[in-house]
Amino acid sequence: MLLLAQGSKAWLRLSLLKTPIFPRTLGSKTLSKRTGLPQGPKLRTRLLITALFGAGLGGAWLVVRAEKEQRRQQCRTEALRQAAVGQGDFSLLDHHGHTRCKADFRGQWVLMYFGFTHCPDICPDELEKLVQVVQHLEAQPGLHPVQPIFVTVDPARDNVAAMARYVQDFHPRLLGLTGSAEQVAQASRSYRVYYSAGPKDEDQDYIVDHSIAIYLLNPDGLFTDYYGRGRSAEQIADSVRQHMAAFQSVLS
Amino acid sequence: MAAPSMKERQVCWGARDNYWQCLEENAEDASRCQQLRKSFESSCPQQWIKYFDKRRDYLKFKEKFEAGQFQPSKSPANS
Repeated sequence: MLLLAQGSKAWLRLSLLKTPIFPRTLGSKTLSKRTGLPQGPKLRTRLLITALFGAGLGGAWLVVRAEKEQRRQQCRTEALRQAAVGQGDFSLLDHHGHTRCKADFRGQWVLMYFGFTHCPDICPDELEKLVQVVQHLEAQPGLHPVQPIFVTVDPARDNVAAMARYVQDFHPRLLGLTGSAEQVAQASRSYRVYYSAGPKDEDQDYIVDHSIAIYLLNPDGLFTDYYGRGRSAEQIADSVRQHMAAFQSVLS
Repeated sequence: MAAPSMKERQVCWGARDNYWQCLEENAEDASRCQQLRKSFESSCPQQWIKYFDKRRDYLKFKEKFEAGQFQPSKSPANS
């Protein structure tokens, strides 16, 4: 439809280019002897009307398209609002012994990592990286502080005291979360975290195999992005900044 | 058994790095690095020693693999 409007406008311009020097004759339908083109205001009028009609159709099409886009956006916002309230909820104990759930972090950006305190190298490395990201963002004036969270996938050993001992080595605002086996299982399911305790050795020690990712949650509590081992602290900080700049809340 | 603190972790990693450095220098000859091996074993939990040993095996394998030392079999009839 838009093509038709554009086409008729182009045709109108073309025909005006060709007929500037021909004399105006009212009601004439005769062909010019020089070029063979039909001339006269009647044709010009017809062309003008066609062009206006085409433009009108084009305009109407644009308005309808904009309305459709707006409706689609509203549906998406509504779906996100429902997800923000229902999905990814958890009920866990922080390292001070207080119960926390997802709604407690509404209004804050959250960087979350799932691991365990008996981890040989990966969890400390990833948590160091997470802390560096938080520090990069803290250094930037005007940005709200990001909340770093460490959730254990080894609730059998990582009780509140163990979590408190562990998180103090990384960052004063790093929050450790633990709970019962069911609570941890539920939180891990929400964030699609795989974990599996390995075989115990003579002193009952074991390693927990688990998926490795830092999750970014937006202030509505919605999962926004995730970062694997391959991303550096600078890359993650850049990504978080971009998400912050683009963020629009779906909750009032 | 409490998890190692940050300091304990760093002591363990240091001992591991020293041991691995010795292995690098001696072409994986463990008999020449026994002192460092003992130090490594006393600094780290047993689970971690097993884990780091496996990790070293994997890293060595990965080096060889990336250097092209493992070629796919050219006779599919044998499988």
